[in-house]
Amino acid sequence: MIKLSNLSKIFRTELIETHALREVNLQVNEGEFAALTGPSGSGKSTLLNILGTLEHFDSGDYLLDGQSVKGLSDAALSKLRNEKIGFIFQSFNLIKDFSIYDNIELPLRYRGFNAAERKRRIEQALELVGLHARRDYLPGQLSGGQQQRVAIARAIAGEPRILLADEPTGNLDSLMARQVMELLEKINQQGCTILMVTHDPDQARRAGRHIQIIDGQLHDSTLYEPLAAHSA
Amino acid sequence: MEQFIYYLKVSLKGIKRAPLPYALTIFILSVGLGVFFANATFYYQLNSDPLPHKSDKLFFPMINLVPYQCTTDCRTPRVLSYSNVQKLSQSGIPTQAAAMYSADGYLRVNADQPPLPVSIRLTQRDFFTMFEVPLLHGSIWPDNSARLEVILTRASAEKLFGRTEVIGETLLLDDRNVTVSAVLDSWQMLPRLYDANNRNHLTDADDIYLPLETGYDMNYLSNSQSSTFDDTDYRQLSTQGRTGALHQLQYWVQLDTPAQQQAYRQFMHNLVMDEKAAGRHPSEPNNQLVAMQDIVSYFGGDSSDIKAFALVTLLFLLVCLFNASHLSLNRYLSNQYEFSLRRALGASRSQLQLQMLVDVLLMASFTIAGALLTGYAGIKLMNQLLPANRLFSDWDLPLLLGLLAIAVVCSYLVTLYPSLRASFGTLNQQLKE
Repeated sequence: MIKLSNLSKIFRTELIETHALREVNLQVNEGEFAALTGPSGSGKSTLLNILGTLEHFDSGDYLLDGQSVKGLSDAALSKLRNEKIGFIFQSFNLIKDFSIYDNIELPLRYRGFNAAERKRRIEQALELVGLHARRDYLPGQLSGGQQQRVAIARAIAGEPRILLADEPTGNLDSLMARQVMELLEKINQQGCTILMVTHDPDQARRAGRHIQIIDGQLHDSTLYEPLAAHSA
Repeated sequence: MEQFIYYLKVSLKGIKRAPLPYALTIFILSVGLGVFFANATFYYQLNSDPLPHKSDKLFFPMINLVPYQCTTDCRTPRVLSYSNVQKLSQSGIPTQAAAMYSADGYLRVNADQPPLPVSIRLTQRDFFTMFEVPLLHGSIWPDNSARLEVILTRASAEKLFGRTEVIGETLLLDDRNVTVSAVLDSWQMLPRLYDANNRNHLTDADDIYLPLETGYDMNYLSNSQSSTFDDTDYRQLSTQGRTGALHQLQYWVQLDTPAQQQAYRQFMHNLVMDEKAAGRHPSEPNNQLVAMQDIVSYFGGDSSDIKAFALVTLLFLLVCLFNASHLSLNRYLSNQYEFSLRRALGASRSQLQLQMLVDVLLMASFTIAGALLTGYAGIKLMNQLLPANRLFSDWDLPLLLGLLAIAVVCSYLVTLYPSLRASFGTLNQQLKE
C-alpha cells in the first residue's frame, strides 16, 4: 500500500539545514492500522505530510498503491489525495461557516460526483459517525469530539484507501478520545488502512502496529496486539 | 451550473466573513474606475470619428489667394472668399462639394409672435449628402441657386409648429418670408468636424439651413470668422461680398480616390500659379488640403484639458488598483487556511482558480455598479465645470462595453495576485496553524 525507500527530507533556511527525515524505509500494508509515535520534532508530522503528498521530499522514493508520487504534477497529486487519501487533523479543520453536510461534501465536489452520489456518500458517512441528525448544524454548535467525528466523516466519505490521522485525539478529553479511537478501529475493520500520529502510548497500543520515529529515523517497528485482545 | 452556484455561495460566504475590507475594496475600485469612466467618456467622444467610413475622403481645401503680401504671419487663411470658392468649384474633380458658413438670425411663424433666435447654416445642397444628414420630410434644394426656402431641424420644427409635417409652411426669417422645403430627422454630428476650422466642433448643430446664395442676398455675415483683405464693406454682403476679398466661407470637398485627391492637389497648385501669374496672388503658395480625420489636430482644437484629466485619472486608477489589491491580498491571506484545506482535500490549483474567477465576477458586478454610479456623478460634475463639453457625455454601447471590460480586467487584476499567493501557500503549515 505504502512503500518508502531511503526517503529524506531536509528543511533549509539561510543559516541552517535540518534533517527532518533520514533515509526512511517503510512499508505499510493494506488494511493495517499503524500508530506513528515519537518525541516532538522527531519528524512524525513531516512523514505524515509526505505520505499525504502535502509536502515534497528531497530524495528517495514513495510508492503509493504501487505508483511513485515523485514528479507527479499538481493536478495529479490533487487527484491522488482526493481519491486515495483521507485526512484527519488534530484541530479538525472544518470550515466554520459551512454546515456539517457542506463540510463533508467538500472533497466529494472536487471528485466530480453528482449531487445524488454526494448525498448518498455523505449520509452513509454521517450514519457511520452517528451524526446524521446534525447534518445542518455548524461546526461551532458541536462538541470537540463531534467535530472530530465530522472530520472523520469527511475523510471517509470519498472511500479512500488510506486514512492519515495527525493526532486525531490531541484536542479531546479522554471520553471523546476513546469514542474517536473506536470509530477509527471500526473504519479499519472495514478495510481502510490507517496511519495515525499520536503521543498517547495507550492509543499506540490499540493500533495493530507501532512505528517509532526519533530524529527523523525509524527506530523500531513493533507489532502490538490490539487492546481488545489484551482485555480479553 | 450547479458548480457555479456552489462557487458563488463560497464567494458570498467569503464576503460575509470580512464584509468591511470587501466593501472598502469595492469602494476604492468604484471610485477609481468611476472617475476614469467619467473622463474616458469625454476623451472617447471628443476623439471619436463621426464618419469613420469617409472621414479620409472629405477634405478641407485652403489657399492663400488674398490681395495682400504677407510678411509676418503667412499661414493660409482658415476661410475662403466667395470668389476663391467659385474658382475651387470649377475643377469638376470632387464627387461632392459644399461651401458654407453660419450666421445668427431671428425666426417666427408670423409677425405677431416673439422672434426666436436661431443659428443658421448657409450652405449648398451637397452638404446634406456629404455629411449624411437624415431627412424626415420634404426634399433638399434641387441646386445651389438662391431661393427663399429653409430647411428646419426636427427640434426647430417642433419648437415653432409643435409638429414636424410642416413642408410648405411659411416663416418670417428676420424680415423675409421663407418657405419650409424640408425637415431633418434628429441628427447631431459629434464632433461637428465640418466646423473645426472655427473651433466650433464641440457645439450644437445649427437650427436651420438656408441656401448660401440666399444668405449672401440677405446680408448674413458669418458669426464665427470673417476677414476682409481689401476695402470690401462687409455690411454690403449682397452687393460686394461675392466679388471682394471678404473671407468667411468654409469649403468641403469629397475626394473618394487617391487619384482624385492627387488631381485636386494639382488643380489647386495650377490655380494658384495661374493667379500668381495674373498678379492676384502676391504671397508664396501655401495650399492645404486637410482630411476631415486630421482637421481638429490641424487647427489645434484638441481638448488639452481632457488629455490632462485623462492622464491624472489613469494614475489615480492605478493608485486605486494598488490599494484595492493590497486590501484584497489581506483578505485572501486571512482565508489562506481554507485554500490549503481545499487543496489538501483534493482541489487542484485550477479548481481553486475557477473559484477565484467567480470571486472576480462577483467583485466585477459590484464594482461595475459602483463605478457606473460614480462615473455618472463625475460626468454631471464635469458638465458643470466644463459646460463646453456637455454634448460629449453620453455613453454609447461600444463605450459602455469597453468600460465594463475594463472593470472586469481591474477586478481580475485585484484578485489575481492575492488568490495566487493564497493558493500557492505551503499546505501543511496553513493546516497546522
